[in-house]
Amino acid sequence: MPVVELNLGRLQKLVGKNTNKKQILDILPFLGLDIESLGRNVVRVEYSPNRPDYSTDFGIALGLQGILGISKGMPRLKIRTKGNYEIKVDSSTSKIRPFVTGIVARNGSLDDEAVKQIINMQEDLHFGLGRKRKKSSIGIHDLDNISFPLKYTTTSRDHRFVPLNSTKESSISEILRDSEVGRDYGSILGQSSKVPIITDAKGQTISFPPIINAALTTVTTKTKNILVEVTGIDKQSAEDMLSVVVAILQGGGFQFSQLKVSGSRNSTPNFATRTVTFDAGPVNKILGLNISNSVLASCLKKSRLDAVVKNKKIQCTIPRYRFDIFGGMDIVEEVALGYGIDNLKPAWPASVHIGEKNPTSEKLDSTSRLMTGFGFMETLNSTLTSEQTLYEMTNRDSSQIISVTSSKSQEHTILRDSILPGLLENLSKNIHETYPQKFFESGIVFSKGSPIKETANLACVTASEETNFSEMKAILQSLLRIGFSIKCETKALPSHALFSQGRVAEIIINRKTVGYIGELDSKVLENFRIRTKVVGFEIKLSGLIFD
Amino acid sequence: MSHVLHDIEKQIVKVLQSGPNLIEEQISDITNLSMDQVRRGVEWLRQKKLAEVHESINISYSLGKNGLDSLKNGLPERRLVTLVQDGPKTFDEIRSSLHGLDFNAAIAHAKKNDWINIEKTDTGSKISIKEDPTRTREEDLIESIGEKTVPAGPTGILAQSALQSLLDRPDFIIEREVKTKKVYLTATGKKINLKKSDSNAIDVEADVPHVHAARIHPLNDTINEIRDTFVHLGFTEITGNLSQSSFWNFDALFTPQDHPARELQDTFYLKNLNAKQLATPTQIKNVSNAHKKGWRYYWDVQEAKKMVLRTHTTCVTIKHLADKKPDEARIFSLGRVFRNEKLSFKHLAEFNQVEGVVVGKHITLRDLMGIQKEFYRKIGLTKVKFWPTFFPYTEPSLQSMVYNEKLGKWIELFGMGIFRPEVTKPLGITKPVLAWGGGIERIAMLKFGLDDVREFYNNNLSWLRTATKCQ
Repeated sequence: MPVVELNLGRLQKLVGKNTNKKQILDILPFLGLDIESLGRNVVRVEYSPNRPDYSTDFGIALGLQGILGISKGMPRLKIRTKGNYEIKVDSSTSKIRPFVTGIVARNGSLDDEAVKQIINMQEDLHFGLGRKRKKSSIGIHDLDNISFPLKYTTTSRDHRFVPLNSTKESSISEILRDSEVGRDYGSILGQSSKVPIITDAKGQTISFPPIINAALTTVTTKTKNILVEVTGIDKQSAEDMLSVVVAILQGGGFQFSQLKVSGSRNSTPNFATRTVTFDAGPVNKILGLNISNSVLASCLKKSRLDAVVKNKKIQCTIPRYRFDIFGGMDIVEEVALGYGIDNLKPAWPASVHIGEKNPTSEKLDSTSRLMTGFGFMETLNSTLTSEQTLYEMTNRDSSQIISVTSSKSQEHTILRDSILPGLLENLSKNIHETYPQKFFESGIVFSKGSPIKETANLACVTASEETNFSEMKAILQSLLRIGFSIKCETKALPSHALFSQGRVAEIIINRKTVGYIGELDSKVLENFRIRTKVVGFEIKLSGLIFD
Repeated sequence: MSHVLHDIEKQIVKVLQSGPNLIEEQISDITNLSMDQVRRGVEWLRQKKLAEVHESINISYSLGKNGLDSLKNGLPERRLVTLVQDGPKTFDEIRSSLHGLDFNAAIAHAKKNDWINIEKTDTGSKISIKEDPTRTREEDLIESIGEKTVPAGPTGILAQSALQSLLDRPDFIIEREVKTKKVYLTATGKKINLKKSDSNAIDVEADVPHVHAARIHPLNDTINEIRDTFVHLGFTEITGNLSQSSFWNFDALFTPQDHPARELQDTFYLKNLNAKQLATPTQIKNVSNAHKKGWRYYWDVQEAKKMVLRTHTTCVTIKHLADKKPDEARIFSLGRVFRNEKLSFKHLAEFNQVEGVVVGKHITLRDLMGIQKEFYRKIGLTKVKFWPTFFPYTEPSLQSMVYNEKLGKWIELFGMGIFRPEVTKPLGITKPVLAWGGGIERIAMLKFGLDDVREFYNNNLSWLRTATKCQ
């Protein structure tokens, strides 16, 4: 989950009305904000990826005002339609990044902390909603350095301008090759010879989306008026993103003017709210409550939605930026949050259900109990293991290997097809402990087959100077006889990678080979640095004691 | 005072009460107990404060090969002087009579003792006796050591100069350092009345060695406890494969195909393996439509076919519900799940998860909270509270916080929520589905007081042999 760092004093001021820090800290978790760490005046909170408006203290303050009852209902959004802010879209963008939208925000104050919060918002939106800028991305500009109307168009890769955080001109190709953002996000533009660009009325480049802004429009702490533009490959996603920015900037005290958008399937964003009408009944039913329509409406308002009771139904109005609300169940959650999760008391449902263990679990359980009865210690190993343990150290055949892609850990790259190598590794790690050592493990092993087959195996080993084949065969036969009334035979096997020649056998049940038993080969033991004699077996339980 | 003594202890006490303080070897000689028995007995007595042990390092001497030869035949210088008693002899005559003894050393020591004269004549050097050779201190010393081992110090060798002179000569005297443990009885030990102590009684208070039990792995103990708890609460266990198609792991749970969770860095994809049979054609069609409607993108069936190692047990649950469509059910699924994580003290690439699901017409969120509270109570966690949270496929979503007395803080444990209609509707599930679950290692860590989750899979025998079973 993403994290935002909040200055408590500032948050307190934003929330207002004599709130104190303790009150704020106590209530944060009930907005779904997990306190990750707490300093003297700084708190880091985790927020849900479906609430990008909580990526800043402006957004969180709105939520806190609601749940604390300081300010309820939907924040009113006023957008002036007068003004000559306009962007025209050239049809050449349709092949590469067809949509642009935006807003003009004026008379705000961007101190250091506000800039920090807005940068956090931008990063969050780029990563989550924007799918690493691929789906949509934002540019924020100092309005006062721009002359309107703007143009969203495309240009060739030798086009030059001064990019953000630089003093000299670079070409698009140079930016993509030499800058970090260029290298990170350049692939979004593919091999296209033309790239998207926003220019102003004077022909100055102000942005090269989704990579970098121009230095010309750099936002500083002196900036009062800004332009926000969002470009993307999906119109609705771009407008979703813009709506979050607007909600946050509104919390920051900005006033808005419309940016007219036209040309090539683009249009001016309208920030329309949605209204849903529903009965209180089903909401009460699923939450296990019995609250009146008016209380229910008040809960929604505490969650910063608008709600009125009309004809015994609830009419709920959802602001544009709450596009995480898909349907009825999302409304239920808003009611629950407004009601206060702390006020929901756990109940105990009447039930006639009789629980049962899975038969496979039962039988594996019995097997484990017998094995411990025979004096074997249970170990646990990953089913996702390494080629080194499974094949290189054991000289086993690796032709049927099943690997995973891009594992972050070298110890976890392939799926095991046998448990024994893991037990040898367990012995290897315990050579300084007293002997005899006896281990067993039961678990899943994998093999290829439309597309992959999973079976449960049991393996065990005894390591000591005195152990021998007969001892292990006695364990095997006793286990099957006592546990499952199964008789098994062992039939000499000419050779097996894991075991010594002349001291290895197949385990045969009803004329079918179900496993191997023998004394471990000395070279294999040497690879695991085991200095005692080891005998062991591995047997397939699937198809034997369960399906 | 009555003390129950082991037979070994009795024998030792008896010897020490009737004689001087002895070293362990001497006790062994007298009692015919083995050194091992003596050591054990002395240690028991010491723990009961009946005996004390004083360790000391002693030096002792015995004769070496040349020393023993001298004991029998005299020192080389003595033999030399005996040879010339009857009149002067030449070097060659003496050399052949001394039979390989160190001729030069014999002459040097005889001269030092002032026993002989050496005259140079035309027929070579001759040795003649100077005065009557008296007995030397070296000779006394060799005789006094004899074939014994003699300790140094006041009770042993007094003639330091003779000792030093013999030590300087090769293989005459061997010097050894010996560690000895001298055993003393304490005042209480001395007063023990051996006749009084019951001959039948044994020392039931003595320490005994550790015995290791073969046992179920501690993590599996916790897993079994959780499985049993679910069963007690009326849940029936379902199982499923660890390898799953992306369809059941992600698509059926309304996770869009471009969602970050589906990327290689979070999920283990199986190299070049695609599911052959995905789901029923209706299930595929409905899930595809839900994605197109909800997320507005081109849903690719090929993407859904990619095989992954399940990232949660929910894929097993949802497939069961989609296939069976129960009106009422309490089921749970437990087992290994996988995340492509860098291993650390709190992250594993493969771990265990449990998930319970309640399906029912009248089931409520408060009921789910109640079931969960009862679950925690059964596994010994009594302080529980709930916070809202976010999960991609449930709404509303809550997380449970459990107070840990040992750590003195609230800890996030299982998550819970109601399956989104976007998940259930396309699969034909019409009744509300309430789910809850989470990682098991986390609970096991609290139980076993571990702060590194990797310990469960290290299979470290010393830990497996000693971890307390009932936590």
